[in-house]
Amino acid sequence: MPLHLPLPERLSHEGWKVKIYDNERLEPPCATVIRGNLEWRWNLRSRQFMDREPDPRDVPRELREFVQVEHTKLVRLWDLTRPGNPVAITEDWP
Amino acid sequence: MTLLDLPEDPYKKGEHYPRFTIVERGLMSLRVSDRKGLWVASSAAQTEHFQPADRHGRDRLLVTDELDSPLHEFLTALFSDVVSGPKPSFLSIDEIGKALVARHFADLALGALVSVAREAVVVVRGDLQRTIVPWSWFRPSGTGTAPDFNDVAVTDSGLAIRLGNYEASMDAILYEFDRDYRACARQRQLETDMSFGGSFRRLRMQRGLSRSGFPGISDRELGRIERGEVVRPHGATLRLIADTLGVEPGDIETY
Repeated sequence: MPLHLPLPERLSHEGWKVKIYDNERLEPPCATVIRGNLEWRWNLRSRQFMDREPDPRDVPRELREFVQVEHTKLVRLWDLTRPGNPVAITEDWP
Repeated sequence: MTLLDLPEDPYKKGEHYPRFTIVERGLMSLRVSDRKGLWVASSAAQTEHFQPADRHGRDRLLVTDELDSPLHEFLTALFSDVVSGPKPSFLSIDEIGKALVARHFADLALGALVSVAREAVVVVRGDLQRTIVPWSWFRPSGTGTAPDFNDVAVTDSGLAIRLGNYEASMDAILYEFDRDYRACARQRQLETDMSFGGSFRRLRMQRGLSRSGFPGISDRELGRIERGEVVRPHGATLRLIADTLGVEPGDIETY
């Protein structure tokens, strides 16, 4: 079952969803912001939207801020579904 | 009469291609050129619209309903390609209408059909191209959710395939099974990646340097930085990279 980030009622009512699918690209770890047939992939390492199209500015400010605030929860959800590829990577530089 | 709720339908206006037309309730077409188009019918009965004298040339047809064999053969004689299947395997006709007018329509799933004999899921895309995904690719998630191949549908308006409680994104499917999609996705990712790794790669390309051109740092380590596996190198490593690129360490992320 995909993991959903519960959203404020107004955003849910407008059709917005934030999911981590059971099966999606492993790298980089991401959550998907969805509305209709549009999706914006949110990079869990860089805390930024990964693609220029569709325009991340089309995501309401309230939702962008909500995703930032709930970042830790999203990381926890990702790590739960992808234990072999956690968001945090140990620095192995000299 | 409004047949579909299409808030943004750039293709309906004017005579330019691609042009989206609702012929009647449940029957629509998307013309991508004067010789090539895609028709969608929501029921077998609706295919009565197509008559023996019709010439559809390179047009393709999707029927979101099961067709008996003679009707399928008849339609195959008229169209260059015919796809059909049980209604639950496809998006609703309204969602298909919205998918067809999306800029990325070819990357959306309109339907998903299961071949038990071949142990595969056939994903029908917005341009009617089919992508075959072996059952073995749908690995259980870390939470233990496993795919149920007896309950397959398209979800999230074409962005994902649902197999019981399990969902796989179309992005992951196409990235794995469509070489062209993968090439575009990689290019997009590198162009728009705002991470340190993305900036470093863009700057390195701009300087015309290969990964082997950084004394004291291995090709493998630089690859890890570019892929974001190392969020940001520290100290001496960062200085080495900056010196080789001829910039200050703090400037790398501005590229």
